Amino acid sequence: MDSKLPKEEKEIGYTPEETALLMRVRVFVVLRWLAIIAIIVATLVASKAFHIGFPTLPVYIICAFMALYNLFMLILTRSLKALGTGFVVPRARAYGNIHIFLDMVTLTALLHFTGGIENPFIFFFVLHIIAVGIVLPYRSVYLLATEAILMVGLLVGLEYSGIMPHVNLGAFAPPEEWKDASRIVAVLVALAALLFSSAYMTTAISGELRKRQRQIVELGEQLLEKRTRELEQISSEVAKLEEERRHFARFLGVVAHDLQSPLVATQSFISYILDGFTGGITDGQRDLLERGVRRIDGLLTLITDLLDIPRIETGQITREMREISLNEVVKRSLDGLDNVAQQKGLTLKVEMPESSPKINGASRRLQQVVTNLVSNAINYTNEGMVLVRVTDNNNDVRVEVIDSGIGILPEDLPRLFNDFFRGSNVGSKGTGLGLSISKRIVEAHGGRIWAESPDPETKKGSRFTFTLPKKLAAAHEEKRE
Amino acid sequence: MKQKPRILVIDDDVDLVAVMKGTLESKAYDVIVAYNGKEGLEKAKKEKPDLILLDIMMPVMDGFNFAEQFSKDPSLKKIPVLALTSFSDSLGQPFPFEVSEYLRKPLKPKDLIAKVEEHLKRGGS
Repeated sequence: MDSKLPKEEKEIGYTPEETALLMRVRVFVVLRWLAIIAIIVATLVASKAFHIGFPTLPVYIICAFMALYNLFMLILTRSLKALGTGFVVPRARAYGNIHIFLDMVTLTALLHFTGGIENPFIFFFVLHIIAVGIVLPYRSVYLLATEAILMVGLLVGLEYSGIMPHVNLGAFAPPEEWKDASRIVAVLVALAALLFSSAYMTTAISGELRKRQRQIVELGEQLLEKRTRELEQISSEVAKLEEERRHFARFLGVVAHDLQSPLVATQSFISYILDGFTGGITDGQRDLLERGVRRIDGLLTLITDLLDIPRIETGQITREMREISLNEVVKRSLDGLDNVAQQKGLTLKVEMPESSPKINGASRRLQQVVTNLVSNAINYTNEGMVLVRVTDNNNDVRVEVIDSGIGILPEDLPRLFNDFFRGSNVGSKGTGLGLSISKRIVEAHGGRIWAESPDPETKKGSRFTFTLPKKLAAAHEEKRE
Repeated sequence: MKQKPRILVIDDDVDLVAVMKGTLESKAYDVIVAYNGKEGLEKAKKEKPDLILLDIMMPVMDGFNFAEQFSKDPSLKKIPVLALTSFSDSLGQPFPFEVSEYLRKPLKPKDLIAKVEEHLKRGGS
């Protein structure tokens, strides 16, 4: 939970409680090193600066002993890390118990050599109870508090009764004070009260802390569970929509096939007759059959156009997108159209940058757009030229189709890209869907399409422009199937 | 030439198959027909045709599946395949399999014959 914690513990996946416990055990080791240094410094100061008389050698030996078992503790805590989650708490607590007991014994021994009841540091036992209260369950804390008061009582008692020698602190304490029974009782009572009240307070605080910690973990888990459920719901909805989209695309495919198949077959029969496979036909018959072929062609185009609209709108086009060269798209779109232009006596000019702009797009669809614009231009131009110009700008590429034709009436311009719209100055050629489909295709690529008439440069005919962004929005870069 | 070139037509449209068969037979080709990809694959293996005309949208096994199975068979791989696509199918995804050529329906009988002759000449040399 805490970002300052060593990485390895996070990786093993300890609970926050275990992590906190491990950290505290480590803190105790550090505190013990500090305590050893403090004892040595205090001893030096007391004996050298204040000339308080007590044997310093046993104190240093005791310090050495403390250092030894603290080192041992350090190694043990390191080995704790190797344990998996779930085993840490009992082990860490057992180590804690042993060391605190050792601390009690050394502290009592230290007390013995530094004046027993005369030493005001006698109250340092309280520090241990606080430390223990943080790590161990409350029962152990009271047990250790009892242990501490018994050990101090035993020491003082033994010294009082003369079984153990007493070290008098000389200049520091009155020589007979340690034999003052009422004072001894008062100190012991005060110590006991301090020990038990500290035990109570620390266990209460750390118990509360542990409770909070568990609550936080629970809350976190609940939140995670909730989020996971929400996420699952969303992804199942997405999957459903995707499934519906696929169904729809399949449906459209079947519709297209079933609508067109009879027309294609009929078309073939008529062609079969027209091509003379069934014998000769009269000019009148030929004329009618050719009209029939043209009408069927128109109907096939209309079906294709009508089915293209939902196909583009359901996003099928984004699945066809890949990196393509725009010059290549334009070249392929003009395949065959140059012949048509030539037959009408028009010049079809193409201007493209030398290095082709690369875009992410649906090649066939963009070809459809360019073919549509250029064949419109040829259709509505009787003399002059049709110019296709590709320009590469910073953020987008631009394709312009400029003609010197009959142009577009001002009142028609705003409705030009509407479904089934046909210009008022042209016949009823085409399905009226070409431009509206082109607009959908360009917009599905994140681009724009518009028309100007007359062309702002040549002041005649019209100009159709569409732009395509070089970098497509993330929505268009979804995975292909 | 020892015998008439043999052409396998695979299409689910019975009427269209009849017209194609008539067109090709008028040019002295031996025509075998199949009405779905599965049947087509079996006939291709048995009859070893010189050329295959393949419709893409078909029941049982579509043209794509057919082309996939077909290209796995080393004895068939060399046979030229002309795929016939309907008006709007061809605007969809790019075709996943190599065939000799994609032809768009409707196809005029004259054009059909021209394409067949072109590919037979290419493959038969």
